[in-house]
Amino acid sequence: MVIADPIEEGLASGWKHIDASQLNQSQTLEADVVIVGSGAGGGVAAEILTDAGLTVIIVEGGPLKSSQSFNMEERRAYPNLYHQAAAMKTKDKAIGIFQGRAVGGSTTVNWTTSIRTPKNALDYWAKTKSVKGLSRDELDPWFEKMEQRLNITKWPFAPNRNNEALKNGCEKLNWDFTVIKRNVKGCWNTGYCGMGCPVNAKQSMLVTTIPAALEKGATLVSRAKVVKLEHHKEKIFAAKAIALDENLKPTSVELTFKAKHYIIAAGAIHTPTLLMRSGVTDPNQLLGKRTFLHPTLLSGAIFSDPINAHSGAPQSIYSDEFVWRDGADGQLGYKLEVPPVHPILIGSKTLGYGKSHAELMANFNQLQVTIALVRDGYHEQSLGGQVHLTDKGFTLDYPLTEAFWNAARRAFYSMAELQFAAGAKQVLPISEGMPYLNNWAEAKTKIATMELAPLKTVVASAHVMGGCPMGQDHQLSMVDSHGQSHYYENMSVMDGSIFPTSLGANPQLSIYGMTARNATRLAERLSAAKG
Amino acid sequence: MKRRTFLTSAFVGTASLALGFSLYSPEFIAANRSQDSQHRLLFSALLPVFLDGALPDVETLRRAAQNRTLDAIAQTIAILPEEGRAELEQLLDMLEQRLGLLILTGSMTPLMMRTPQELASLLEYWRNSFLDLMVTAYQGLRELVIASYYSCPEHWSRLNYEKPTFLGQQV
Repeated sequence: MVIADPIEEGLASGWKHIDASQLNQSQTLEADVVIVGSGAGGGVAAEILTDAGLTVIIVEGGPLKSSQSFNMEERRAYPNLYHQAAAMKTKDKAIGIFQGRAVGGSTTVNWTTSIRTPKNALDYWAKTKSVKGLSRDELDPWFEKMEQRLNITKWPFAPNRNNEALKNGCEKLNWDFTVIKRNVKGCWNTGYCGMGCPVNAKQSMLVTTIPAALEKGATLVSRAKVVKLEHHKEKIFAAKAIALDENLKPTSVELTFKAKHYIIAAGAIHTPTLLMRSGVTDPNQLLGKRTFLHPTLLSGAIFSDPINAHSGAPQSIYSDEFVWRDGADGQLGYKLEVPPVHPILIGSKTLGYGKSHAELMANFNQLQVTIALVRDGYHEQSLGGQVHLTDKGFTLDYPLTEAFWNAARRAFYSMAELQFAAGAKQVLPISEGMPYLNNWAEAKTKIATMELAPLKTVVASAHVMGGCPMGQDHQLSMVDSHGQSHYYENMSVMDGSIFPTSLGANPQLSIYGMTARNATRLAERLSAAKG
Repeated sequence: MKRRTFLTSAFVGTASLALGFSLYSPEFIAANRSQDSQHRLLFSALLPVFLDGALPDVETLRRAAQNRTLDAIAQTIAILPEEGRAELEQLLDMLEQRLGLLILTGSMTPLMMRTPQELASLLEYWRNSFLDLMVTAYQGLRELVIASYYSCPEHWSRLNYEKPTFLGQQV
């Protein structure tokens, strides 16, 4: 069956796309607005600014890939669509990080979970981080707008068995759970969202806002990595990029972008990295600090019946039973979700090798996996990580503190209790030294004394946030509550790096909603100036 | 001078000796013996240990699976970002040199000369080491081998996993 590819069709119809890997000589491009990054922030901003009649250039470090190349194989998806081929890690290698790098950013590869920013997070920001005008009441219209734009609706079909186990466990234990809203249209319910949607059902930036912007004349430059912002006094006057080759290695071709306004939307880690490398004003030394990850623990469970956790919408149920239980800045809370189970993902995120690992993999279709995403950035001991520049790039130093391990142990309890309640035969907390647990009583004993430590306990992240915080107080923030730089009149930041803490929820809808708000205001300002 | 620079300059040309492939090398491993830049011989020693129980039982299928995995490992290494690749190459180079072997494994016996039991003991030694360097060496190799093995659709039959076929020949 042939699936129409809107990107191929758009390119054929004359969209302005420059694949920088094909350039032989350096060049300069100009527009009203240059947007660095094409993910949740860059994509939404591009559409809104183009709609307002402004000329826009979107610069993306990753390649432009579309449904034709999304063949549902991890071996193609990870190198094509993820930073560092999905093998990115924190400095001490204790946390593996999944972050998209392609046109559409992480929205091209995420699992479609769409959650409005929790009120607890917004209240905390208002109270302690000097964030203004971002109450839920003020944001809700923007969430509604983006939910309509991206067809975000409650998943109407039965959850797959992986999610159903989460639901069943919550029901048995009388725990809170929610049916997830997803940004899909005509979803085939196959379960390969993380490898790029092969049928263009996922309403990622790749198939929604970016095509809309290109349709209205925006220019997309892919495989161009912005490495420096040139600035003088209170103005940015150029963004310098280097063209990457087809393997995303640097070439000698340079690109210079000039604009009236610059939007940095390279995502947490990369936005602060770019700003630090550019030597922008940062009197309070905030850039790159307080980078948050929702560091995530995994618990496997073997069921008698097939779970087939690779098949069907990857995430359709979550539980917030433990996220805010002890107040925002009390003990770290955690959100319970499930991941899709595919061979490389689960093979590498489990432990051991040889016969024990082969045995686990042989139970592939009986394997249910629950994850606990720890809400970082609120507790006084949860300061997140720090981005440092290196000769070739960056490192993220993210110490896992005692407060985190305390949450991890509670999370392993909760996940085991949930999985046994849902009917698991055995539960396997993914941490070195833990055996298969045969019942909840055994689990309670073993988890109480299990060793939890970096490199022993598997910790992963798919949500990178912070590092360029927003707020009104310059001591605490780099940009104001609309993403406008405190120090450069023609620069804004529109991505997850502006969050002053993690969210306690999957971030895409928060970025969509806040960017819609901030880009709309910016568009009004720039249009008025343009006359 | 960085340790790596010292090691390579002092032991350049001894990689083949350290690996021991002049003494022993399975015929079926497709590697250029004079220029094994992809570390195929090194991985050919480690694969049967990492993948014990996962590799097919039938010898011909097993050999094919090993060679496919070696190809996949080479591809994976090729796409790693520069810094990660440099780190990995440093580790692999050390494992192909006698002094490096001594530092990392406590013995100068080439990996190709060790029995599967000895190699499994070595992996356990790294895995449980109090030195993060050893643990990350173990985890790096483990992840590379396991991810490369399971990246190949030919190796999914034991999982009863296959991707949907609705796209047919399109991709």
